[in-house]
Amino acid sequence: MIKLAELKKFLIRRILTFLPTLIGVTLIVFIIAYVIPADPARAWAGGEKASQEAIARIKAQYHLDKPWYDQYWFLVSGLAKNTLIDPRTSNPVMDDVGKRFPKTFELALVAFFFVILIGVPLGILSALKRNTWVDTIIRFFALIGVSTPVFWLGYILIFVFFVKFRLINLAGFPAYPSHQITHIPMIDALLTGEFTIFKQHIGRLWLPGFVLGFQGAGVIARFVRNSFLEALSSDYIEFLKAKGVPKLKVYRHALKNALVPIITVLGLQFGGLLAGAPITETVFGIPGMGRYAIQAIQNLDFPAVVAVTFIFALVYVTANLVVDILYAVIDPRVRY
Amino acid sequence: MRRMPEPILEVRDLTVHFYTYAGIVKAIERVSFDVYKGETFALVGETGCGKSVTSRALTQLIESPGRIVGGKVIYHSDKGPIDLLKLREEEIREIRGKEIAYIFQDPHASLDPLYQVGYQIAEAMVVHNTVKDLKEGLQRALSILKRVLIPDPESRIKNYPHEMSGGMKQRVVIGTGLTNNPKVLIADEPTTALDVTVQAQILDLMNKLKRDYNTTLILITHNMGVVAEMADRIAVMYAGKIAEIGTAEQIFKNPLHPYTQGLLKAVPNPMKRIERLDAIPGTVPNLITPPSGCRFHPRCPFAKDICKQKVPELKEIEDGHFVACHLY
Repeated sequence: MIKLAELKKFLIRRILTFLPTLIGVTLIVFIIAYVIPADPARAWAGGEKASQEAIARIKAQYHLDKPWYDQYWFLVSGLAKNTLIDPRTSNPVMDDVGKRFPKTFELALVAFFFVILIGVPLGILSALKRNTWVDTIIRFFALIGVSTPVFWLGYILIFVFFVKFRLINLAGFPAYPSHQITHIPMIDALLTGEFTIFKQHIGRLWLPGFVLGFQGAGVIARFVRNSFLEALSSDYIEFLKAKGVPKLKVYRHALKNALVPIITVLGLQFGGLLAGAPITETVFGIPGMGRYAIQAIQNLDFPAVVAVTFIFALVYVTANLVVDILYAVIDPRVRY
Repeated sequence: MRRMPEPILEVRDLTVHFYTYAGIVKAIERVSFDVYKGETFALVGETGCGKSVTSRALTQLIESPGRIVGGKVIYHSDKGPIDLLKLREEEIREIRGKEIAYIFQDPHASLDPLYQVGYQIAEAMVVHNTVKDLKEGLQRALSILKRVLIPDPESRIKNYPHEMSGGMKQRVVIGTGLTNNPKVLIADEPTTALDVTVQAQILDLMNKLKRDYNTTLILITHNMGVVAEMADRIAVMYAGKIAEIGTAEQIFKNPLHPYTQGLLKAVPNPMKRIERLDAIPGTVPNLITPPSGCRFHPRCPFAKDICKQKVPELKEIEDGHFVACHLY
């Protein structure tokens, strides 16, 4: 098990490594935006009909006439202090992002829930029934899951649940609970006991979440199957059987050993879910950060693009940090 | 040497096949031998001859794609003789680790890396209800660590396997095997994965514990030195068949089977001085299509026509000395 002092040192070290990662990610996105042969000032000022003064004013306001490092610094420090105004919505960029992020995070949580709920049991079942028809069906399902495009599955399910049965709706977003604690409405609703609001959020997000998580569920099912089988073929499992340990307890040992690689992939999956959110949100009309990012890209709204990238990168590194901590909880050989 | 006529295990015609994509591997074929109460019985042979499969088949520890195709393993328990191969899964589980316990080859791989060693020893008792709960099991585990001579057991009991040396881990594995006072202990190459200096310590420990617990020991090894030091009786296996069975003295001083003779010439004989070591010509046969007749005939310097046609049966040549060879 981890000792607290070690954990604290590790956390500080890891959070320090966040900085170069985040700077690198925002810098790369900024440079791509910078070298694109487009004229954002003209686009922000209103496109073809924009007046020369308006364009010049915007150029001065956003430092677009300065060298690239000045522009980058202006952008990043503006985001950090939340003084950067989005040229498209006229709100501070981080306010816009802050409004949309909880919806996307919620969607990712629901999708993640489906990934685990479908992927892990199917993987275990597949391993236990290996080389039988059950295994074949599950492996086939996993293959389908991995190779189904998100938008296709989304539209098929919309056809079934919206057009045919009217079980879901595709517009708006349910209200938030009265108190904001974690700023994730679903979790806040549970914490404050407002179960109707929780139910509304689930009602809006279960199908998009399923669609978003479907691919991940296939990946996880395959992965759980293989690492569980690998653990089951280890020498210590044979020794456990030789000790006379009953089957279920043997499986528990094997599963715990299989967990380390599974958690790694789950951590990566969570980041992957955010990457899939733009398509899912567009298909299901959820006003989240993914759709916001797509609109920002379409409008050459680079401050918003960099802000969204920054948030996604932050979630990614945080997910990996959680994975690293879980390693140490599971495996005594992991030390910091 | 004193003969112990009371058998604890009678193995008859034990046959295990592995059903692989390449074909059916006849890993062991009609293996028969007796193990007597209180003795140390050594199963000897080169890698892949079926010694491990034989030892595991005794308690049905054969995993798919392997299958026990036929034979009987009569175990003389306190409640009378039972055929271990006829028992259902739950019944054989109750015997495994309680009446017949195992020690495996590689102590680095035998212990679950995620659990403390104390827990793993205690678990062997908890699953057989020989202690009332885990707490009592952990107390007993402490005394077991003392018995297997682990220094500072109070702190070692909380160690994870990776915090111990190989010799120490093998002591834990041996301790785990002995927790429930088994009648039979099957040690599958218990010292192969260890340093030579540690090997001697582990063998001493096993000899001592065997006397203390009055356990019957089945020792599986390819190391003739270990065999000479430990064994009362020896069975030599070749390509999934028993070639020769006899007391240690009979096998080392008067080997009858050409394979045993070759084997003893290939390693320093602990009981007889030999001038130079000779290799046995040829290689171990493929067990998907084993040689007809005697499986050793392609490598045998004395092979005759009959050796290619007829499978030799075990014959008793002198008192307690059996050989499966057409020369006799």
